[in-house]
Parts: sequence; C-alpha cells; structure tokens
Amino acid sequence: MRLVNTARRRRGWKSILLTTSFLFLFSTCSSLAFAQDAPVSRPDSDTNANQEVTVTDILKLQGRVLGEGANTKAVGQHKVKSYRVEEVTLPGMKEVRIKGETRTVGKAFRLTVKGGPFPVRALPPVIWLDDTAIGYGIENEELTEITVITYDESALTEGATIYLSYGDKKNKEDRTALPEKLKLNGAKGDNQ
Amino acid sequence: MKTSRINHLIAFAFLLLLSITAGAQVASAQTPDPGTTGPNAVTREEYNYGNSVFRPVGFPISVEVRASIHYPTTLGNGPYPVIVFMHGRHATCYRNTTATLRWPCLSNEQPIPSFQGYDYIAQTLASNGYIVVSVSANGINAYDNNVTDLGMQARAELIQHHLGRLNTFNTTGAAPFGTKFVGKINLAKVGTMGHSRGGEGVVKHYVYNASLGSPYIVRAVLPLAPVDFNRPVVNNAALQVVLPYCDGDVSDNQGVHFYDDARYNVPGDTGAKHTVQVMGANHNFYNTVWTPGMFPAGTGDDWTFVTSGSTDGHCGTGAGNKRLTSAQQRGTGLAYLSAFMRAYVGGETQFLPILTGDAPPPASALTTNLHVSYHAPDTTAKRLDVNRLLTSTNLTTNTLGGATTQSGLTPHDLCGGASPQPLHCLPSTQSTARQPHTTASARSTLRGLSQLRTGWGAFGSTYTNDLPLGARNVSGYQAVQFRVSVNYNDLRNPANTPQNFSIVLTDGAGATSSVRVGDVSTALFFPPGTVGPVPKVLLNTVRVPLTSFTGVNLSDIRSVKFNFDQTGQGALLITDLAFASAP
Repeated sequence: MRLVNTARRRRGWKSILLTTSFLFLFSTCSSLAFAQDAPVSRPDSDTNANQEVTVTDILKLQGRVLGEGANTKAVGQHKVKSYRVEEVTLPGMKEVRIKGETRTVGKAFRLTVKGGPFPVRALPPVIWLDDTAIGYGIENEELTEITVITYDESALTEGATIYLSYGDKKNKEDRTALPEKLKLNGAKGDNQ
Repeated sequence: MKTSRINHLIAFAFLLLLSITAGAQVASAQTPDPGTTGPNAVTREEYNYGNSVFRPVGFPISVEVRASIHYPTTLGNGPYPVIVFMHGRHATCYRNTTATLRWPCLSNEQPIPSFQGYDYIAQTLASNGYIVVSVSANGINAYDNNVTDLGMQARAELIQHHLGRLNTFNTTGAAPFGTKFVGKINLAKVGTMGHSRGGEGVVKHYVYNASLGSPYIVRAVLPLAPVDFNRPVVNNAALQVVLPYCDGDVSDNQGVHFYDDARYNVPGDTGAKHTVQVMGANHNFYNTVWTPGMFPAGTGDDWTFVTSGSTDGHCGTGAGNKRLTSAQQRGTGLAYLSAFMRAYVGGETQFLPILTGDAPPPASALTTNLHVSYHAPDTTAKRLDVNRLLTSTNLTTNTLGGATTQSGLTPHDLCGGASPQPLHCLPSTQSTARQPHTTASARSTLRGLSQLRTGWGAFGSTYTNDLPLGARNVSGYQAVQFRVSVNYNDLRNPANTPQNFSIVLTDGAGATSSVRVGDVSTALFFPPGTVGPVPKVLLNTVRVPLTSFTGVNLSDIRSVKFNFDQTGQGALLITDLAFASAP
C-alpha cells in the first residue's frame, strides 16, 4: 500500500529541485540523545548542485506505511492520539550521521504523532521512543500531526513507548506517552 | 546596661533602615517613568510588499515583507532613533477561531498579525521620539522547524532586509511612503527587541549585521522570553534579557545564556548587560495577539502547557497565586523595554537606575515583584572584577590575584561551568528547567554558568576575597555587587523564607563596615513554586552602594567578606563578585 504523506502541502518537483542542501549547513551536534545525528554538512550554495533532498522535501515524498496506530481518543497534556511510521525512498543517496558515523542512505523514515490541535510553541516538539529522542518534530499545517525524520532504522524499536515533549525533556513526567506502543507489523527490515 | 545596648542597637537599625529607605525614595523620585506617554502625537501605518517576496538564504520558502511603523506624527525633530521588533513563533493563519501553520494562508484564512501585538509599546516609544518598526515573520514560523538552526539565520536576514527598506525610506524614499521619511530615520541608532524565537533572532541579527561590517549601528538588543538554541552572543552593545518566571513555553528560561555567555567573552566589552526576572509572568501575555480575549484564534496562557501547572501556588490559578494579569505583564514589558531602549539607543541615561536596580520598578511596570541583574561594561572606570568564579583556581585565588578563603562553608565548590565542573548545580532529581543557567541548548553543546555552590550550618561562617596591592582603591565605584540565588533544593534554607547575610569591607587600618544584604536587595528570596519548571535557581544581582559602608577608607579596602551572620544555616549559588558603577 502506498500512501501520499499529508504532513505538508504538496509542491511540484520544480520547487523541490530549487531547495538545496544548504539547510544542513548549520548542522551541529545536538545536546539531545538523538538516535541519529544531524546530517553531514554540505557547504554548497543554494544552487542545488547536488540536488540533495531536504527535510522539507522528505516530508512531501510518498511513503510506505510500516505501522500505524488506531486510537482516536486524545490523551495527556499534549492531546496525543496515535502514530504512523512510514518508509520513504529518497530520490538519491544521502550522506547522514548515524550514531556518530557517516553513512550513505537511500531511505528515510517518518514517525508521525497524531492528535492535537498541537500548539505552535517556541520550544520544538520532540518525539521519543522509550528514552531515545528521535529528533525535533515538524507540525503539519492543520496542527494535527507532528513528524520527525530519522535515517536510522534501528531506532524504530518494536514495542517502544512513543512520547511527545516540547524541548529536551529527559524526565518522563514532562512527556506525554501515546496509548499505543510502536508496532511495525513485520514490515521493517532490509531498508538500509 | 544591657537594655541600653539593645536600645542603641534598635535605634541604629532604625536609622539605617530609614536612611536606606530614604535613599531608595530619592532614587525613585529622581528617576522618571520611561513608560509614560511622551509629548509627540503618533501615527501608525503599515507597509506590505507581499507574502512571498524575500527568500532568506537556504530557507525553504520566500516570506512576507510586512511591518507596522509607529512614528511621531510631525516628524519634526528627526532623524529619530529606530527600534525594530520581531515576534516569536506562533500559528500563522486563522479562520474563525481555528489557527493553522502554513504560509501563505489559504484564501479563506487571514494571517495572524503577531507583529501587531506590541503596538502598546511602540505607541509609547513613538510618543517619546522614536520610530518603531514591528516585523511580521509568519513565513519563517511556518517552516523554521524544517531547518537545522530553527530559523535563526532567516530571522536575522529578514530584520536586515527591513533595515534595508528603512534605509531606502530614509535616503531616496519609496512606496508606500514617498519621501515622508527622507532624513528622518537614524540608522546609526538602532535597537532591536525579539520575543521568544524572535529573541534569538535579534541576537543572531546583531551577529549577522556585524559580519556585514555593521551597515546599521545596533546599540541595544533585547531578547524577551527568548530561546537560545544556537548560543550566539552580543558583545559591545547593550543587552537586556527579560525572563518570565512562569513561562510555560520556554519554561527553562534558557535565554539567560545570552547574558551569561556575553559577560567575559570579549575583553574591553563596552556593552552593559541586564536581565529582568519577572515573577508571575508567562510567555504569551507580552503579545496582545497571543493573549486570550484579545484575538479570536491561537491565544492561550502558556502556563497551561505545564502538567498540573494550575495547582502551583505561584504560577497556578488557585487562590492566592502570584500570577500577573495580562495588563500587569504588559506593564513590565512597557516599562523595562522602554527604559532599556531609551537609555541605550536614545541616550536618555536618566533611566539607567531602573535597569541597574538602583531605582525600584517604575509605576508603569504595574508590579514591583521582579528582580534585575546588571553586568557593567568592561572598562577600568566601570568595573573591577574581584572574583569571576570561573575555574577551581578562583576558590583559592580570585580574579585580582588576591587570596580567597572560607570558614565553615560546605559544600564550597564550583558547578555548572566548563568541565570538570558538574554539568548542573542541583542533583539529577531536579529538572533542568529549574536550572536556567545550565539548561541544555538545542543546537549547541556549550555548557552553562560557573557558580559557587556554598552553604553554612552555623552563624559566623565566612567567605572572604582579599584585594591585592594595586586593586584596593574602590572609591571610584558606586557599589560592590554579585549575583546570587537561594538554593531552594538545600534543606538548610527554610521554605518560603528569604535568606540574609552581611557584606563586610575591611580597610588597611583594620576598620570594618557591614551591610546586611536583605536591607538593600530582595535577591535573597526563596524561589517560589512547586510544580514543573518552578522553583528555579536564577541568579540576580545584589548591588550594595559603597556609600552604605561608613567608617572605612574606600581608597584602601583590603577585603570583601560575606559574613553569614544573620541566619544559622543556608545555601546559595553565587557568581560575578565585582565593584561596579552604572554604565
């Protein structure tokens, strides 16, 4: 089954091609215990010489659903309901850092928390699997979804508790746990 | 005999209190209120060049170039100093009561005019002879989580773009204003204020403008309830960080890093630095468009983001809480933003005592429950650092090279600063949101503020810094000062009770003079609250006027002693011991 991601509005490939790797120019180590590190800096200009796919692009690419929750009742401080995990095939290979190592990947994974409407806050949303912060999330336009992108498939731990927080909240009491554990329906594997 | 001595003591204490109170009243009487309406009639207009007309480098989309401009109607006495505002991250569009996050908005939506939320400050500043421009940044808000620096470079470039537009207004003129502003805008006197993510945005802009050779002279930067994800630093310009105690969004008050990081970053730094800790204030109420009842969509009291926050005795909603009303909170913004910009951009130095804490909050602040910090410019005339408390060496030898000793203090170590100091000053059971000086930054691995962690268990414990030869004449300074917070997590501090101790100066003849901190400062308050990010340990400045120390030769001071003689036990976090004067 192939789904079109609805996290951000669609844009044409022309727009995608005009968006470049400069987004990652400022990539640095995060203080969060992210499962993946920031992508390797690509100090190319905005000329799209590498045509490297950006976060904005990945949010718009088609995805294959690996797992999805079904809860419809909002819970907790952040009114979370459910989740969706998707695998995204990138249009080209991409250099990223995973657990401190530079790797070349052809796939990304979107982990989306559903619920809300989520507030638009100064502190960025953070999506966690157990005690690992997967990364900073990005809200969709209707503020009903928050999506984080990871290139590290191993971070998607079957049965993990999914949390949402705002800012780096290592204390579980400051996060909201989703009522459903992460289930990948056996779809995970052979993706790197 | 004994009764007589007690009577003498009481009389002395009464006279001391009277003189201090009288002094404060004199300072208050001499310091005008910066938040009052000035003599100029004010006109408010907007310019709007479109929703998708400026593309910051590397940003996913083009954004709007839209702003309001408040100015003295007659424009008779220009060129006027310029103050630029930038709002923070918020929903960008709305239809009826529903807020969304996209840019540009759909045809059935309207942009949320966050940039209009500070008109109450702009109006007052313009009436006092300033041109105030408030920039819309909705396009950045809609996509800033997509970029690694969370939109700070884009914000900096957008501000710079607007300054370029103002430069055009000032030189050749341009639509929609024609030649109205030609020669009326002084871009050599610029101040910037940013709220929330806009707070880091204005700091980043200061750095960006400097990287371009400072085409515009930014004299003052004010981050209001800011984030500090990337740890940019302002040096050689005035800085004031406003920190709401009940901020439920930037609940860790991470913006205090701007002050901490700037202090000793550049030798000879000419910029004064200030913080204002506003008790009872939240994140959103500084912006009227984000305040419930003042706009139809996207508003809220951010303290509700805190789990069980409503139950907190200080920040919650129960009886007896100490929350400010939205009007009171705007009062603090109006008073301290106006004082800061008017002092450092407009040169109206009469407002400096408000910023240093030498004068109480002005009436326009609508509350007195706030605390300030002040770091003087790094010039010989303005500041003599006694002990910066940066490394373990400073536990035995202070910044001047004098001996540092203590008796009866435990622990007595440094925390929060560079390794090998412990990362935080409180144990891991305490949330980092309660420790703003050492809270983590989203995009930086820099550590936090080095602090002296100390405490006493008996009357008469002491902490002493000797002044070596060549550094003993302090008569040219106004005050001895330091930053301090009561360590709420140390049980030696009784809950909800302020601490107190004495500062003792000793001169070359052995004469001593002592002043109780509690008589001149409220900084030793016990941090209130019990839920989520409160209580907090945020260090505020104690400034003890040197005129209070009678009977000692200020030209030959040999030591500064903290004498813990007022309470039998307690614990503090301390840094930045110095003699200093107002800027």
